[in-house]
Amino acid sequence: MPIQNSTGSRSFRDILLIAAGFLAIMPILGINRTTDFIIFSIFVLAFNILYGFMGRLSFGHMLYLGSGAYGITLFTEHVSRNPFLAIIASICAGALLGVIVGPIIIRTTGACFALINLAFNQVGYFLVVVAFSKYTGGEDGMSVSFSKFGFIDFSNKPFKFGFVLLCLLGTYYLLRKFTSSPYGILIKSIKENETRVKFLGYNTFNYKWITFIISTSLSAFAGALSIINYGYVTPSFIDPSRAVEVLFAALIGGAGSLYGAIIGGVIYMAISNYLASYIPRWEMFLGFALLVVVFRFRTGIWGAISGKIKSRAKAAPVRTL
Amino acid sequence: MINTIAYGLTIGAILFIISIGLSLTFGTMRIVNFAHGLVYTLGAYFLVSALPLTGNNFILGALIAVLAVIPISYVIERFVIRKLYGISIDYAIIATYAVALIGIDAIKWIWGASPIPLSDPVGIDVSLFGITLPLYRLIIILLAVVVFVALLIFFKKTMVGKIVVAALEDKDAVRGLGISVDKYFTYIFVIGSCLAALGGVLYAPITSVHPYMGMMVLLVSFAVVLVGGLGNIKGTFISAFVLGMVMAITGRYWGPAAETMVFVVMGIVLIFKPIDV
Repeated sequence: MPIQNSTGSRSFRDILLIAAGFLAIMPILGINRTTDFIIFSIFVLAFNILYGFMGRLSFGHMLYLGSGAYGITLFTEHVSRNPFLAIIASICAGALLGVIVGPIIIRTTGACFALINLAFNQVGYFLVVVAFSKYTGGEDGMSVSFSKFGFIDFSNKPFKFGFVLLCLLGTYYLLRKFTSSPYGILIKSIKENETRVKFLGYNTFNYKWITFIISTSLSAFAGALSIINYGYVTPSFIDPSRAVEVLFAALIGGAGSLYGAIIGGVIYMAISNYLASYIPRWEMFLGFALLVVVFRFRTGIWGAISGKIKSRAKAAPVRTL
Repeated sequence: MINTIAYGLTIGAILFIISIGLSLTFGTMRIVNFAHGLVYTLGAYFLVSALPLTGNNFILGALIAVLAVIPISYVIERFVIRKLYGISIDYAIIATYAVALIGIDAIKWIWGASPIPLSDPVGIDVSLFGITLPLYRLIIILLAVVVFVALLIFFKKTMVGKIVVAALEDKDAVRGLGISVDKYFTYIFVIGSCLAALGGVLYAPITSVHPYMGMMVLLVSFAVVLVGGLGNIKGTFISAFVLGMVMAITGRYWGPAAETMVFVVMGIVLIFKPIDV
């Protein structure tokens, strides 16, 4: 994977492009759906940090989304209805979860990593739906409301859209900085060959742990934003059987690229929102699509597009000679 | 209490029968086979369809169900699993999960999504140590022991078994001897799938048959494999019965927590015994 040179102007251009893209699809899809798509893209970005950049596939990422979703709900219920404090609290909940379960999870790789995440997700689902159903509302979930401050009103749809879009742009900017920093390069090296990174004298455990915590916190952030968007929480926000959605989005967009994650998020949401109403055998279609991606189309949509751009850029000087 | 122990042994027996295939594919091919849960579910559904055909003869129905899984598992191995050797393990997880998704949707298509109940095929209770137990559960426990002994003999005495054991240690060295390892892996895959189907067949009368029954069992049996050691038959045997006991005892005091407790135990084991795959 080539190291992308990230100058300030380039990430500024990217941010403008993403904002323009979402503003362009907003009139087509409607403001509610677009807000939903943007939040899902943040979740895919969080997942992709772990999967695309560090090469650890988590099959239970709904747990971290759910920690944010239930974190913000419980915070508004018991502490304060200030939305910004609640978001910060939910991010802390995700980070805390990453700190606690991280040391167990990140020692494993490959299949173990995927399934231990899934096992923890199952435990989290059980805790929310059965063990603490008194506080979380169990299967029924509960509704959430936030207090208003002047123009900051989360029941106002355009404001919500703008806020969520700003969140995505901020997340993108931070992750762009993160992945092009020496730290990000180290993470990618761990994906390629962890033994060699260890041999160079780095304590890979700490790097993996921190990356894991970043991913869980960002997922929790996405969870908190979904709660702000929907205004209620249900166990579907922590349901382990939905973990495949984010994986599919990351794969179809192209793992290991920030653009790919956002494109994948939008495309997956578009498929699941529209195609599901036309194709009755929806899960079967998803299964075959996953097989095609794995066997034929491994770099995803963004990988295919950027591959084309690169080969054209290479071919161009030859023609002028 | 004796009742709980008997229940734990039954669960452990079924867990062992299911997990052994998972453990072998994991140990030999380094692939987590999500389709294993699908094969387990298919076994139960084939039994549901076979019972009316055989005039409610459970043994014949079970035999048909287990044998019917062979072509399906061969197709899965030939067209999905075999293509995954050598490429990243993540893609193997995704591809087998995709197969499971397709299969579960096909099951919903053919048999419908609502659960199908099955009655106890033996229906005789025996008195043991002053309590009455269904004979069916004792048969399951016996069957697991028979499978365990048969597998031990298979891996110790037969040529195929010896090749697989050697390949578990060092695949390339076995290939270097001119032995087509992939062919033997196919045998192991099919045997493991048949055992998974047998597990589904045996468990079906205890619970009900529904399309997602495989996914939860797959997770629990994955915990069994991790605790017992990859590709380790004796370890899988012991850990299956221990975790079956954990489920039974937890279930006695707090029903919904039974399966969650298995993952807690797995987490604790992994803290003290990290696994490198």
